[in-house]
Amino acid sequence: MILDNILLGLTSVLSGYNLLAVAAGTGLGLFVGAMPGLSATMAIAILLPVTFVFKPETGISMLASIYMGAMYGGSIAAILIRTPGTPAAAATILDGYPMAQRGEAGRALGISLTASFVGGIISSLFLLTVAPVLGGIAVMFGPVELFAVAVLGMTIIGSLSQGSAIKGLLAGSLGLLFSTVGMDSVTGIPRFTLGNINLFSGIPFTVALIGLFSIPQAIRLIEKEESLVERVNLITDRILLPWREIRPLIPTFIRSSLIGVFTGIIPGTGGDTACWFAYNEAKRASDDKESFGKGSPYGIAAPEAANNAVVGGALIPTISLGIPGSSSTAILLGGLMIHGIMPGPTLMTEYAGVTYTLLWAIFLSNFFMFAEGILFTKACIFVTRISNKVLSVAIVVLCVIGSFAINNNFFEVGLMFGFGILGYFMDKLKIPVAPLVVGLILGRMLDVSLHQSLLMSQGSWMIFLENPISAVLLFIALFSLIQSTPIYGRWRASRRKKSGEAR
Amino acid sequence: MRKSRWIVGILVLLVCVMAGQAAFAEYPTKQITVLQGFKAGGGSDTLAQLTQPFLEKAIGQSFINQYIPGATGAIAWTQLAKTAKKDGYTLSITNTPMLQTNYIMNPEITYNISELEPIANVVTDPGIIVVAKDSPYKTVEDFLKAAKENPGKLTVGNSGVGGDDFFTTLIFEKASGLKFQMIPFEGDGPSWQAAMGGKIDASFNNLGITYPQIKAGNLRALAVFTENRYELIPDVPTAKELGYNVVSGSSRGYSAPKGIPAETRDTLIAAFKKMAEMPEFVKACNDRASIIDMKFGDDYAKMLKEQEAAFKIIWDEVKEQYQGKK
Repeated sequence: MILDNILLGLTSVLSGYNLLAVAAGTGLGLFVGAMPGLSATMAIAILLPVTFVFKPETGISMLASIYMGAMYGGSIAAILIRTPGTPAAAATILDGYPMAQRGEAGRALGISLTASFVGGIISSLFLLTVAPVLGGIAVMFGPVELFAVAVLGMTIIGSLSQGSAIKGLLAGSLGLLFSTVGMDSVTGIPRFTLGNINLFSGIPFTVALIGLFSIPQAIRLIEKEESLVERVNLITDRILLPWREIRPLIPTFIRSSLIGVFTGIIPGTGGDTACWFAYNEAKRASDDKESFGKGSPYGIAAPEAANNAVVGGALIPTISLGIPGSSSTAILLGGLMIHGIMPGPTLMTEYAGVTYTLLWAIFLSNFFMFAEGILFTKACIFVTRISNKVLSVAIVVLCVIGSFAINNNFFEVGLMFGFGILGYFMDKLKIPVAPLVVGLILGRMLDVSLHQSLLMSQGSWMIFLENPISAVLLFIALFSLIQSTPIYGRWRASRRKKSGEAR
Repeated sequence: MRKSRWIVGILVLLVCVMAGQAAFAEYPTKQITVLQGFKAGGGSDTLAQLTQPFLEKAIGQSFINQYIPGATGAIAWTQLAKTAKKDGYTLSITNTPMLQTNYIMNPEITYNISELEPIANVVTDPGIIVVAKDSPYKTVEDFLKAAKENPGKLTVGNSGVGGDDFFTTLIFEKASGLKFQMIPFEGDGPSWQAAMGGKIDASFNNLGITYPQIKAGNLRALAVFTENRYELIPDVPTAKELGYNVVSGSSRGYSAPKGIPAETRDTLIAAFKKMAEMPEFVKACNDRASIIDMKFGDDYAKMLKEQEAAFKIIWDEVKEQYQGKK
């Protein structure tokens, strides 16, 4: 039965129209992804009404391909101009831009493209084969478990702020504070909104992110004398990587892809969270932690494999149970609904024709992404030949368009500039922005799920330890917290010394 | 040759002017903008995409959706009430109870329904109580018995403070004298998903939203808050049958700003009446488990007004518990 459906889907996706839709969707995804300020979720939301003229499978396949394409596209801007094209590419900046500055932009983009491709393929395979089995994981995550996930995520701040723990924690706390702005969804009380209803829904994460990264970069570009600025236009290296470069990255690809798939499955977390988890794990697993943040290939491969793996992961509960795994898939589900397809467990049976076409479209979009990605990236590299003064203005214009287009609201353009100024001064004071971003992403989840859990337990904190999933996650969080303190370093040093003596 | 071109040109011009004048006389002559207070792909958008193809046929003009999400719809509705032109070319999808509870609960939100001209309600998604398929509560009697024995201990989810499920729970508590531990979630989805995963004892939700899961057997419906049993789920008793006079749900329709010309209002209402009679529209609604509940003009306004009064009373009773003493 399932095999029949898989074959049915394959023949359906190979029809001319569907292939064209996937190719066009992926290309469009690459484009919006690469534009700072325009994100996949936004592109899907804007294009959704356009797809109503298509057949459901064609329209939905196209939207899903946009999602896939944008996940790679986001890294192009992150690597070349140090502004994340999509929120899911924020972690790519940390190592992508330094590598590009060394004159290895082509290599950085090649690593990103290969990682995106591998992440996408792995998650597509999960999606095609074991989606019904893994879909159930989504309902295993209620408020208690989500709280533990958020706590685990918070420990990333520790590893992002090595060197200056105080400044990192300061930025992280600032992020948490910003995340409390808006209507408290458990009590219905607006907090820190200054009576402005535009802040009732909280600070839109994408708006803050655009401001924090892109505006300081635009200013930075014009601050220095043109001739003094290190230009990244000397692309002498190839985008297609030789095998010897790829081989050492394979464990990172696989680990990050798995992180991406599982983060995708958990409702409420998507690429913007997965990229940090993967980056953190790559750093933890590495022997050479010092190279991270200075252009490490692992630091590019990890977030990029993870954010593309999220696409398949987020679709797993979406198609097997009708539970969206991320904000982009929530819009996709809405799209299905509007096409007259009831999202729910019947997607894989009653609407198998549409669903399996979509699954194959996701799989194929990886290949389109790779092929179109090479061409597109080559074109994008010319960005670095543009005069910095022009580029700077272009970035600001895109930021304004992007922050307006998210909710069609001018207030958010102002908010974006506010965060831009904050980002600029944080940069001057050498306070890392990344922990702020992590705090802002996870803060709301942390706050809401904690409150909900305590309501469920009638105020008992033991609920977090009685629940096996949350207990394990909290234990891992505690361990990684200890790992980033000096105590652990000393303990390891003494152990190494002992084993050295024994030898 | 040249002469004949001139004649053709003049003729074309004449036709254009006449067409323009004819159009000037009758609303609508251009696209109608629909403000949406929620994201594309959400419940409001679903209604928009469901109704607009039929409305376009009925009114002879196309609709264009503008999405202004934020503050549970309040940003779009404030715009509709305060700044939209009162010419009938700007409408909004208005959903209850958010349309009223927004300003009842938050003094910062300044619009209210007296500034709107309700055109037509289209659908109402009735309230429902659902539990996981392996829940110990097989029937509504089991559930109510457990609630009676453990007052304030049974955890029931809702879609958020101020949402329809939140108010349904409060009204039901009042009618039954029972007390639940209410858990607000961020939307209907997380609420039923928590019930399905056994994280909470039950979810007060909506029929149309949970129907696919009920049909697939992942969720069990215990009771529905409608006047009569609903044909999709004939075995599920209504709260009324059980002796609790609670009928509740969330409704979606279209409203214009107050002060649009009377003829324009009539034209719009006529278009909705025409749409309601189209068999394709009825079929499209049934396919999506959307429950048609047409109410036009004054009837819709009356419904909104009555709800507003009811929500005010309930909110005043529980306000302190949620927002503290002021």
